Amino acid sequence: MTDTLVELSRNPWFRQGIKQLGLPIPTPQKLARTRAPRIERPLDGQRIGIMSESGTVDKALAETVIEAGASAIIVNDSQISAHWTNTGEAFGRAVTHAGLGEESPEQTVHGLIFDATRIDRPENLRRLYDFFHHWLPRLGRCGRVIVIGRPPEDQKNPSKAAAQAGLDGFVRSVTREIGRKGATAHVIYLAQKAETRLKPLLRFLLSKRSAFISGQPWRISTRVKTRVTAKLTRPLENKTALITGAARGIGAATARLLAAEGARVICLDRPGDEDATSAIAAEVGGVPLMVDITDPDAPKLIQKAIEEQGGRVDIIVHNAGITRDKTLARMKPEWWDQAVDVNLGAVLRINETLFPTVLGDNARIVCLSSVAGLAGNVGQTNYAASKAGLVGYVRSAADQLAKSGGSINAVAPGFIETRLTQAIPVMTREVGRRLSALGQGGEPHDVAELIAYLVTPGSAGTSGQVMRACGGMFLGA
Amino acid sequence: MSKTKQRKAVIVGGVRTPFVKAFKEFIDLDSIDLADAAVKGLIDRYSVPRDVVDSIVWGGVILPSAAPNIAREIALDLGLPSRVEGMTVTRACASGLQAVTLAAAAIERGEYDCAIAGGSDSTSNGELKLPQKFVRTVGPVVMGGRATPADYLQLVAQLAPFTDLLPRMPKIAERTTGQVMGEAAEDMARRNEISRVAQDEFTAASHHRAAAAIASGRFDAEVTPVQTRKGTVYSDSLVRGDTSVEKLAKLRPVFARSGTLTAGNSSPLTDGASAVLLMSEEKARALGYTPKAAFRSWAYRAVDPADQLLLGPALAMPAALDAAGLSLKDIGLVDMHEAFAAQVLSVLKMLGSDAFAKMRLGRDQAVGDVNFDTLNVHGGSIALGHPFGATGARMVTTMANELQQGQHETALLGICAAGGLGAAAVLERVA
Repeated sequence: MTDTLVELSRNPWFRQGIKQLGLPIPTPQKLARTRAPRIERPLDGQRIGIMSESGTVDKALAETVIEAGASAIIVNDSQISAHWTNTGEAFGRAVTHAGLGEESPEQTVHGLIFDATRIDRPENLRRLYDFFHHWLPRLGRCGRVIVIGRPPEDQKNPSKAAAQAGLDGFVRSVTREIGRKGATAHVIYLAQKAETRLKPLLRFLLSKRSAFISGQPWRISTRVKTRVTAKLTRPLENKTALITGAARGIGAATARLLAAEGARVICLDRPGDEDATSAIAAEVGGVPLMVDITDPDAPKLIQKAIEEQGGRVDIIVHNAGITRDKTLARMKPEWWDQAVDVNLGAVLRINETLFPTVLGDNARIVCLSSVAGLAGNVGQTNYAASKAGLVGYVRSAADQLAKSGGSINAVAPGFIETRLTQAIPVMTREVGRRLSALGQGGEPHDVAELIAYLVTPGSAGTSGQVMRACGGMFLGA
Repeated sequence: MSKTKQRKAVIVGGVRTPFVKAFKEFIDLDSIDLADAAVKGLIDRYSVPRDVVDSIVWGGVILPSAAPNIAREIALDLGLPSRVEGMTVTRACASGLQAVTLAAAAIERGEYDCAIAGGSDSTSNGELKLPQKFVRTVGPVVMGGRATPADYLQLVAQLAPFTDLLPRMPKIAERTTGQVMGEAAEDMARRNEISRVAQDEFTAASHHRAAAAIASGRFDAEVTPVQTRKGTVYSDSLVRGDTSVEKLAKLRPVFARSGTLTAGNSSPLTDGASAVLLMSEEKARALGYTPKAAFRSWAYRAVDPADQLLLGPALAMPAALDAAGLSLKDIGLVDMHEAFAAQVLSVLKMLGSDAFAKMRLGRDQAVGDVNFDTLNVHGGSIALGHPFGATGARMVTTMANELQQGQHETALLGICAAGGLGAAAVLERVA
């Protein structure tokens, strides 16, 4: 399922030709991805420009960036803080300094990080301009922009709330400006005292693993009660994962990634799909489980299977889903029922049975929502109702799981190159693909990377959220 | 771990061959010949009764493929009793120290009463390998039987183009990263901000100290002359007592165009061997020997070779200190293998860094600053040369002799090695 335009755009002559002729054809950048499991230093040898002032975020930033193998260029109007010099010394990555608002050196950087946690008045947003005006042009292909702020909703001071909320709009616009280069941007709203939970997310966002994820506001809080001792490599060792709809597409890609990080995977799909389910289970060294999730006995059958496999499940990925598209007037009642039951009803029933029985502490649950569901679509009233319902569900269920260190989030894929989207008429498909900041569709692997991040122990800061793997799609903001 | 009866392995003495530049005087002697010379020198110097030797434990990096167990070949070549068994170990540049600590462990475990341990390497006799393509294409036809002339013609066609068939000069490159060791050290110099001047100053001191040791006869007790076809080699040939920072500054960088590493401030390819005589303390005293030193601890560690390849000693040396129950300020002498001046200086910088201690070692405070007056007091591998397998045993010998003189109680050894390995040991004087 290759994207011809992405492949063509790898040719510099093609890019040049399009530019010279002034054709309104986008030349999307081939995204840099990795298929290997997590490594100790995902940023080895890369340069990262950082607007950082001494403060509480400074230490976490310094350790994350330098431990991951990157060299830091600190940009501010004071000097480099001790956290940066010390960490640089310990890891043999000397830190350099540049002035804020000054011309940046003529060298490409892989990432730009802006610590905006202390911006408390609208006029201070100007610092964003002072930094990015000089440094954004230095951002290399498939680079990363990350702005770190404080959650606007936590601010008592309206002026600070306004300034912090402004970061979101800024980042969404940056996403559009840098998408052509395959680069992505994020804002991280970091709650007070949640600094220790920053590292795993930063490592994920700065690495190639987040290739197709862009324009996302991340919230990191201390809501989930757990101690974060995130292993940098093989974070899922000794974890058991259940994935529904695992036979193909996003489910299969997720099974591969979780297994590669050390998890034992139970691959669930419906009876009739034995061959594909067994194949993926064999590939990842997991267990196939044939259950129709709409069957009223399904939750009990799944519980029994988990008990046979050791009695505990740590990760559940609710990926199985269906569409029964028709405009409301023409939709048969059973189509409504089927879509809502598979996509939403079954998820709730399974969780209600598994949570009190076989779910381990520090569990990680991910429900697959959909950008189409969030934005609304003609002929998808049933589908959108079910997928939007999941959003409400994870928000509420997050509280229930937080006490035992568990988290639950929804993942909303945008345009992904799968069997499903191959069936879309060619022109509609072409529009769908280009309708994102990155100007291309994603791979099931890209969504799986987001799911895999959300099920690692290190993602404890994020719960009750909807995160999108959409390449910065223009819809459903 | 509790032992009912604590046996102690002691170092009775050590002897090495002169260390000479590769492809020079020792070109006719392979690693086994050099090992024979060192062990024979040791047996003669210490009048070792041949029937007390239980085993030879040897270390080497470039092992002769026809007889990789050098240890056993030594015993046979020197006509030691047939029962003297032998094993050969390899742990890159820590192979020599590995052999010695392994022998000490075996003695303390009661396996042997007396062992000769050491290491040797002859870079001059590194075997040039036929390329795998040649072996895999030609092998089945020539050695598989029943080949017709047509098969041979086809062979020739398969082997074309012939450019990749020439044997290649062996490189000291990491298998996983492909990086040559000098490039890795160049990278470490850059990352740890070790200047060219600092490296050249360190290099000049290494040469001056080694030259002084040779001139004063300090090495006479531990170097044995070696016979070659063209004459006898009496002394180390790489040491340049007349070098200076100014002279070294004129050399061009060899691993990177704008780099800081030169042929001067890197250890040279060297041929040589070194052997150490170890016994249980009881046995040594029964035979009338005065033990010089004993191991108080040792430690082997590793770092990611793709990060800072030669930083291993910065982990291993603190570990050995911990195992010995000592801190750096308790240590009298420090002896570090000098693969490159930049590598030694990088490790020293990390030992002195609070930040490194906190973030990489999980300690509150830096391991400590090494006093330059106590470091490599008679020079190191840059001046003396570095026959890979021999260096560890050379360091043990020199430090054991130094401790015996009575001014210092303890010595800390540190060796970096390919693969990101780090080796360290703490020696103490035996009264």
